Amino acid sequence: MAAAAALHVPAGTLGHFDYQASPATREANWLRWTLLTLSLAFFAFFLLLPLVAVFVEALRKGWGTYLTALTDPDALSAIRLTLLAAAISVPLNLVFGIAAAWAIAKFEFRGKQFLITLIDLPFSVSPVIAGLVWVLIFGAQGWVGPWAAEHDLKVIFAVPGIVLATIFVTFPFVARELIPLMEAQGREEEEAAIVLGATGWQAFWRVTLPNVKWGLLYGVILCNARAMGEFGAVSVVSGHIRGLTNTLPLHVEILYNEYNFAAAFAVASILALLALVTLAIKTFIEYQHARAMAASTE
Amino acid sequence: MSIEVKNIRKSFGNFVALDDVSLEFPSGELVALLGPSGCGKTTLLRIIAGLEAADSGTVLLEGDDASDTHVRERQVGFVFQHYALFRHMSVFENVAFGLRVKPRRQRPSEAEIQRKVHELLTLVQLDFLADRYPAQLSGGQRQRIALARALAVEPRVLLLDEPFGALDAKVRKELRQWLRRLHDELHITSIFVTHDQEEALEVADRVVLMNHGRIEQTGTPREVVEQPGTAFVADFVNLDDHGPAWLVEAKIRHRGYVLHAVNDADSPALSRIDLAA
Amino acid sequence: MPPRHPIRILAATLVLAVGLSSLGHATESTLLNVSYDVSRELYKDIHPTFVAHWKAKTGESLTINQSHGGSSKQAMSVAAGLEADVITMNQSPDIDILVERGGLVAADWRKRLPHDASPYTTTSVFLVRKGNPKQIRDWSDLARPGLAVIVPNPKTSGNGRFTYLAAWGYALQRVGAGGTAADAAAREFVSKLLANVPVLDGGGRGATTTFTQRGVGDVLVTFENEAVLIGKEVGEGKFDIVYPSVSIDAPAPVAVVDKVVEKRGTRKQAQAYLEFLFTPEGQEIIARHYFRPRDPAVLKKYAARFPAIRTFSVDGLLGGWKAVQQAHFADGGIYDQIIVRK
Repeated sequence: MAAAAALHVPAGTLGHFDYQASPATREANWLRWTLLTLSLAFFAFFLLLPLVAVFVEALRKGWGTYLTALTDPDALSAIRLTLLAAAISVPLNLVFGIAAAWAIAKFEFRGKQFLITLIDLPFSVSPVIAGLVWVLIFGAQGWVGPWAAEHDLKVIFAVPGIVLATIFVTFPFVARELIPLMEAQGREEEEAAIVLGATGWQAFWRVTLPNVKWGLLYGVILCNARAMGEFGAVSVVSGHIRGLTNTLPLHVEILYNEYNFAAAFAVASILALLALVTLAIKTFIEYQHARAMAASTE
Repeated sequence: MSIEVKNIRKSFGNFVALDDVSLEFPSGELVALLGPSGCGKTTLLRIIAGLEAADSGTVLLEGDDASDTHVRERQVGFVFQHYALFRHMSVFENVAFGLRVKPRRQRPSEAEIQRKVHELLTLVQLDFLADRYPAQLSGGQRQRIALARALAVEPRVLLLDEPFGALDAKVRKELRQWLRRLHDELHITSIFVTHDQEEALEVADRVVLMNHGRIEQTGTPREVVEQPGTAFVADFVNLDDHGPAWLVEAKIRHRGYVLHAVNDADSPALSRIDLAA
Repeated sequence: MPPRHPIRILAATLVLAVGLSSLGHATESTLLNVSYDVSRELYKDIHPTFVAHWKAKTGESLTINQSHGGSSKQAMSVAAGLEADVITMNQSPDIDILVERGGLVAADWRKRLPHDASPYTTTSVFLVRKGNPKQIRDWSDLARPGLAVIVPNPKTSGNGRFTYLAAWGYALQRVGAGGTAADAAAREFVSKLLANVPVLDGGGRGATTTFTQRGVGDVLVTFENEAVLIGKEVGEGKFDIVYPSVSIDAPAPVAVVDKVVEKRGTRKQAQAYLEFLFTPEGQEIIARHYFRPRDPAVLKKYAARFPAIRTFSVDGLLGGWKAVQQAHFADGGIYDQIIVRK
């Protein structure tokens, strides 16, 4: 608003210091346009073009092929499994993330730095390693693998393994989003709530959580996007059983490798759509947040 | 409600915040904990509230040991230096908070909450701001809302941590006189922490001077000014030529009668004596 | 925010999740066939036929699940606990590893089914650009200077391994004599050929993409079935298949995973499933997918698809997989030496 208002200063009030034309404060036109064109071209090439390509390729052989590819039982099962993995891992990471962020931001304890580093671990290790650790733990020759096999518990190469891998790679999103927010807010509001007679639970739901809800939603959305899109870690623990343990990204790869390009892109377009929906929700949240902020400070 | 603390000790690592502090706060008084920053006054206040646990010693509320009483059951009102208003709630909801979180059986009806909150907002003279959010208020307004919020739960004790610390000089003066009047109206046992001598001497019934985690002197404002017990107190309350003054005797002439008034009480001090009148 | 709302959402989500996950369980018998990455279409055709066959014979309904991926990676997954009742691979080392790792497969698996337990074979052929502009006729042409040859990485894919061994065997046979002289000649030849490889793709499908989609290279060396499939699926009329004078016999071995079928009680079904691959009915389906069937009658029927080609085998010419693994593909083996020299 401030910038817009400044532009409406009546001519003459600035005297002979014509800000707009001052060579010291303003880039040359050509530079501005070059920068603008460059960044737009960059954006179009790296983001827009692939997105368009996905949909163009998906529909290359017409709607019939597109719908057939999507209603294929294997594709449907992949969609279901992807949504299931996200539906389990996102709420769990929501709870873990809030708990971890809360502990880190509001309390002092031994090993706090270690915990912060630990939370970042999934960001720093390769997704393949993230998958292999579960094979190492639950594999036939792994630590608890033989025990699990005895009790007929299937973890890797089954849905639980996929969920575990997804939880692992998406763990940091919620916590990372919340820690700086909660740290910035300090403990005073919660103390105030407690002094006013609130239980810890009430203070959490009525004070802590509403204060971070935008950040929380944002973290959840990022978490969800990654949960649905994860390839590397899930690929390692999936076992690739068609109709049972193939998620959407794995299914796309398989179709592509089978020269079934139209179907591969059709399924990819579902992933792209899910991503776009996620982005739309994110934008909506940011818009709502901005409005809420504006309303409270106007 | 009376408050008593006995042999309180508290340290943070190697730093000793409170070193064997014992004090009594009689019912209905407005007491100032005065001292330089780091003297332990805020820590003492937080220990009384239950927000901090003492390493040793006891806190007695109305004669009962409150060591095992949870903060929310101590029925204290606490006003934070930076207000700690709930930023996502309107002014009304901030004040109503303490009523809404009460256990279902003790919770007042919605109508009762409405009535009570508006009453409190009227008391702090900010009823017209009920629908605003904290971010839209001035510092002085926020502090008064914080006070109204603390009073909503009908606390037995009011604890204020540097209540005017974050305000500019003019607002501070107005607000502390307002606080004094409010106290005279409510007569609730109140303790406020400050590092500002003028503020303490002007507002409090009694002043507790603290330094390095110990009590230097306790007394009425007049006592500590006129009979400082230690060199520290003498130095700390030395206000040069603009120190506090007390009305000791007055003659008031009215329609030929002369009223001779003598003030035996030592408080409150007057902030300013207008000689021209 | 109403305080209890999020909990309800969480609970509902979990209930939904558990509900969804239980959908996957079936009550009938299931078999899992863990296979390499290009056999999907073949087994997709085999399954309904076998399931009908089994139902008619025993009255039991059977569901067969498929898992496909890079052959060696799939074998490792089975070793790590992927419960495969049967594995169907494209090179026997990937089954042998399951004999070594935890004894999942009995050591005599080759003896349990006909033809060394491989229901079909294929062979390495050339795919060139339409009209064969570079006049590529035989292995010797691939070593010509200036030619770009696309092969999958022999270290990580069965396809690439067979290509490498095919070239090696060709050179051995050209010299005619055995012994060190022939080895030296073969090494010289394969070095020249690999010098013509601009990129080594990890798997067969990666090499295909490089050749067909990115347009890199003059010739792609790959399995016959793959070459035919590319001609049909990727670029009809854009490529020609060239059969060299001699190539390698690449049998696809299959085995029952003993430990798994014992645990799951599916030995009967698993064994019948693999045996079915050797029946005329199974062989027909195999031939239709451009894999060379073992059954002479079926092979004759589809003779037009499978031009006669002289082949040699790993066991016959190269001393068996164990020797080959050690001499060529172990760390610091002949393959590594050639690549480093290049």
